[in-house]
This record gives sequence, structure tokens and C-alpha cells, in this order.
Amino acid sequence: MSSNDLQKQLEYILNCSVITSNRSLEDMYKFMGPSFENATIEKGQYIEGDQDIWLIKELHADYCEVLEFIQRKLSSTEMQLIAMLIFNRPNLNIEHQYAGMSKQEKQATKLGEWLQSQIAQGTKTGYIPDHLVLANTLYNEMLPILLVADGSSQYKGSYAELDKLLRSFLSEDALLIPLGHDEWLIWGPVTLLKDEEGSELEHEEDETLEDILTNIVHALHDMLASEWLGESQLAITYPAAPAKLMIETVTTLRDSIHIGRKFHPSSNIHLPWNLRLESLLYAIPEPQRQKYLEQSLKRAELFVEPEMLATLDTFFSLDCNVSETAKKLYIHRNTLLYRLDKLKQETGLDVRLFRDAVLVKIILLLYKVTKTH
Amino acid sequence: MAGVRLEGIYKRYPGSDRASVTDVNLDIKDKEFLVLVGPSGCGKSTTLRMIAGLEEISEGKLYIGDRLVNDVAPKDRDIAMVFQSYALYPHMNVYQNMAFGLKLRKFKKADIDKRVREAAKILDIEHLLDRKPKALSGGQRQRVALGRAIVREPQVFLMDEPLSNLDAKLRGQMRAEISKLTKRLETTTIYVTHDQIEAMTMGDRIVVMKDGFIQQTASPEELYNHPVNIFVAGFIGSPSMNFISGTLSEQAGEVHFKATGVDVVVPEGKAAVLRSKGHIGKEVVLGVRPEDLHEEPVFLEASPKTIVTANIEVAENLGHEMYLYLNGIGTESVIARVDGRSTLRDGATVKLAIDMNKAHLFDKETELNIFEN
Repeated sequence: MSSNDLQKQLEYILNCSVITSNRSLEDMYKFMGPSFENATIEKGQYIEGDQDIWLIKELHADYCEVLEFIQRKLSSTEMQLIAMLIFNRPNLNIEHQYAGMSKQEKQATKLGEWLQSQIAQGTKTGYIPDHLVLANTLYNEMLPILLVADGSSQYKGSYAELDKLLRSFLSEDALLIPLGHDEWLIWGPVTLLKDEEGSELEHEEDETLEDILTNIVHALHDMLASEWLGESQLAITYPAAPAKLMIETVTTLRDSIHIGRKFHPSSNIHLPWNLRLESLLYAIPEPQRQKYLEQSLKRAELFVEPEMLATLDTFFSLDCNVSETAKKLYIHRNTLLYRLDKLKQETGLDVRLFRDAVLVKIILLLYKVTKTH
Repeated sequence: MAGVRLEGIYKRYPGSDRASVTDVNLDIKDKEFLVLVGPSGCGKSTTLRMIAGLEEISEGKLYIGDRLVNDVAPKDRDIAMVFQSYALYPHMNVYQNMAFGLKLRKFKKADIDKRVREAAKILDIEHLLDRKPKALSGGQRQRVALGRAIVREPQVFLMDEPLSNLDAKLRGQMRAEISKLTKRLETTTIYVTHDQIEAMTMGDRIVVMKDGFIQQTASPEELYNHPVNIFVAGFIGSPSMNFISGTLSEQAGEVHFKATGVDVVVPEGKAAVLRSKGHIGKEVVLGVRPEDLHEEPVFLEASPKTIVTANIEVAENLGHEMYLYLNGIGTESVIARVDGRSTLRDGATVKLAIDMNKAHLFDKETELNIFEN
């Protein structure tokens, strides 16, 4: 029975409209209501609204495929039965969906499906099972990168095309695992961190592993922008053995993209080590964030002026260095000091002092995330 | 090579009630160097990114040559981009960085080699071909980024603030090199910058943008001498044009502009326009460039009806010229640019003649240049 047929049968039995839709995570949280702000969303979960019920069919990086039961109250037993029917029915065409795929793509797709289902079930850790043949090659450390093709992109790319591109760019050993329609897990070889002789790259004096990873992901972003389908979101993290740490790694990378997009929507590259404060702040429930913002600001409007926002962002990114900030913003040092004095006068916070700088940084981050809500 | 045509281009982001780019119409000629300039958030980068295919076009048509490319992926638009960050591929040497795009397009090895070596020669980086990006200086990296674009021999170069990461000295040097290079290659170039000096020195034509709207499209000379509104007049030129708010009146057959500390006669040619457009008795803004305020005795003698008296707050001597920061002319501070050999000093009173033939008058309400609209 196809999904459409099943949907029609459900409509007939339940005597209500049943529709399939794609809902953003923001829609989901809105539907769940304010008390579920940080609740986990899982495949198979159902959510009761005032009039409708939503059952999550598939979970993607930033949206969910949802079955909506319109204007119908259903008991928890009924919902459990419906979920059982949808998720546990035998799929007679299970091999059909792999038709036309290369062996490599088929294996990677199966691995991706396993990974998705583990994460949807809330599994936090676990080895890849032996029957997923690819696992045999995944015991050595590799570089994990998560790629999400930008939602606005109107172009569609195939697995084969992207796989070939990544093998040319990173290495023949690169592994591509599809996770959804527009989400891909890339495992690059750790040789990218070493030079041709196999020794560690000669780092510039203050170049860290994070710097090298950042350079790699920036280069990948630029390459994909000009040689693939355009804009994309990327996250990279430390090398790991895929067979052992695939689930944790994907969770870390997905969280980085999710939190990075919330706090830094204009950025396309999201680095876990740069998002620690953001992660902490995001864990605070929305009402507390709002309350803190209201209490902290004597005059909120000044913080939201684009000029002040840009000034403070640059000031913090340059470690509160006045001269460097003025140079970067192409303004006179005195103009910058005037702006900072104005902020102090109107909010009582002097960002040249460490204590106040921390507060303003937190206020700016909270403002960004509450604004997007 | 090809021209680029934008017809009624709009960019709207979901959730925003205002378009980021509004009704942009541009006809960029083959081989032209067009600069998009404006303050942060004016829509210049968004416009470039729509041309590149990195942002979806919400409305309107985009042609490269005669081909409508709204739905063509970036890699298939026959363009080459140079980003602000110019992220070179860190694991590849300079030669491989430049050759990568050609390799993907299945160029023959000999052709790739020829193109890379030719581009390296043009950019004077032949001796760096075996080096990795980390072993290059900022200027050398910038050259490699340009080289990567050049070898593609695209129809159009798109450059988004490519010099902003360089120091002032190198920026000046690279500015001249990019201009020379694009003239030599005869490739249509669209260049985004917020720096009006870059715009004025590099562009065949300049598009000044603000709040998503094109304010004026013209040659550098035309923009400088005939700005259509106060924004363009203030944005182009350094130091900026002085603006003095006042009123126009008719006295003994002459039109006078009067403001605090100012009573000057408008030349007859301009006065006739003011009369015919009904501006007599109305509030206007006088725009005077710093170099159109003269302290030389010969100019004072020749222009007795345009003399103003001011106090020098600060006299900044740059050697070849001197900036006088003045008060007493209108209510705001005014800057005059005079000869560096001038003996004027801080605190002195000075008589200056305004060159009213070169001055502009703007409608106070619409901010449009009365003589250019």
C-alpha cells in the first residue's frame, strides 16, 4: 500500500482530513507551545495542538515531514496504533528504492538511513553494525564535515555528482553519506591535516588544529559555491573514527549548524569550538532569556541599531582592541570612542571593561536568538 | 565575453516585510568594469550574489550575454568569483589551486598547464607555483585567488570586496593591478566595494546603492560632479561634501542663499533654474565640496558676493594640502581643503569664497539635486 493510499484509508476511518506537510523546526516548536521550547523532536512522536494533531514522519536538519490530522482529537492509544501502522508496516518495495544506484551509493544510503533511524530513536552512541559493509573501511580516524545545501537553492544535485566532486577536491578516500534530501555527511581523510611527506603540517607559529580545520571548511565552502550548486551550510569537527563515533559526530555537527544558524544567520560555516557560549545560552529556556534581556537593558533600541550592532560585533571579534576595530570599520578612532561612550551613557555598560563586555556580549547573543524567535 | 543585464530584479527574504533589493535595472556592457558601491546593508553584495547564483532571484530577469540564467546553477553560468575571504585550498599548492576548476571541466592536461602558467606570468607568481597557501603572504594569496578566476577565462568576473583583507598599502597596489588586469583581459567585471576610493579609481561606471535601491548609475566624474541627491553627494568624495541648510530669497534681481553666517549670491544661470522650478523662498541644502572653498586672495577678489567668514577649529596639514575644520558657516562643522603651503593656523578667523558655479542645491524635502533632476 502506498503512502497516499494509507493516508486515504486513515481519512476514511478517522473521518477527518489527513495531510502530509513539511514543517520547519520553528513551526514545530510554535505548535508545541512555549513550555516545550527546548524539547527534543523525534521521528514517530506526535504533538497535540488546540485542534490538530501532528505525527512526525521524518526528521531532517531543519524541518520535519509531518502527517497532520486536521480538527480531530485522538487518544494516545489511537495515535500509537497509527504510528505502528505507519512505521512498522512491511515495506515490500524496500530494495526498489535503491534501484539505479551504484554499489557505493546504495551502501552509503543504507548507512545514512541507519544513522538517521538511530538518531531519531534517541541513540546517543553506538558502533555501526557489521552488515553495513562500509563499516569495514571506517575504523581509522577521518575528518567529519556536515553539508546542508541551502534551503533557498533551486538547483538539485545528485549523489554521484557531489561524490565525484568531493573525491577530486578532498581525496579519493573521501566518503559521502546522504542523510536527507539536502543533508550530507562527508568523511575526509586525515591526510588533509598532513603534508605530502606524511608528517604533520608545519604550522605557522600560532596555527592550531582548529585553524587548519577552519581553513579546510572555508575552502570547501568556496569550492562548492562555485563548482556545485551554490550556497550551503557547513560544519566541521575534530577527527574521529566513523565506525565508533558516527552518531555522536553527526549530533555535534547538526547541533552546530542549528545553533550557528540561530545565532549567526549570516554565517555559512559553523564551528563547534566557536559556539560554546551560544550552546550554553541556547539551553536557557526562552522566558528566562527574555527576562534577562529586559532586566539588562535600560535602553534596548540602541543595541539593535545596525551601526551599533556592527560596531560591537567587530569590537568583540577583535578582542576589544579599539585601534584595530576602528581600522576594520574604516572609521576614526575617536568616532569609535564616541560610539562606545554613547553606549555607556545610555546603558550604563562600558564595553572596555571586561565585566561589562561579557554582559554586552551575552545580551547581543540573546537578542539575536530571541529576535529570530 | 558578454554583457550582463538585470531587469527589475528584487530580493525578498522570508519573514521580512521589506525587499533587500528593489527593482534593480542595469545594462552592463561587454568588457565594462562596473562597481557596486554603498554602505553596509545597501544590497550591493546581495545583488552580486544573485548574479553569481548564490542567492535566488525573487523577481525579475537576469541575462548573461543573451542567455536568461535565473535557473542556471552557478557552475554553469560561465562566471568566476573572487570572494572577500579568498579561501585558497589549503591542501593544494598554487598550481593545483589554479588548475582545479579546469580539471573538473575535463580540460586537457596541456591546456591546463598553458593556462595556469600564462595566468601565473600575468600575476607575477610563476615562482610560487609549488608553494602551499600557508607559505604565501596576503598579497600573494590574493594574486592566487585572482589566478584561479583568470584561468577559467569566464564571460564575467564577479568580485566581492576582494581587497578588504589587505593592509592599506597593499590594497592601493592591488587596486591598480586589478584595473590593469581586467583591461588587459577585456573581461566584463562586476566589483562590489564599500570603499568609494576603490569605486572612483577602478570603475568605468559606478552604481551607488542605498537601502536596496539604486541611487545613481554613472561614470566616476559624473557622480562626483553631478550627484543626483544628497546621499550620493555625501557618499562620493573624501572628505565628504559640506551641507549647509538655508533658504533662497530674491534681492535686487539676484538670488541669495542665506543660512547662519552665510549670505551668498547664486550665479545667474543657476538662479534662473531655481526661479523656474519655484524654489525661491523655500528651504534648500547647499552642497559644497571642500576644494570649492577658496582662501586665495585672487579668488576672494573675483568672488566678492560668495564670501563667508569662519573660525578655524583645527588646521590639519597633510603636506601637499591642508584641511581646515571650520565653524561659523551654517550650524554644522565645515571642511575646506586648501593649499598645504597656507599659513593658516588653529583658532584663526578666515575669509573664504565659495565657488558657487560648482556648488549644488538640494531640495530640503526630497533631498534631490535641483539642477540634476
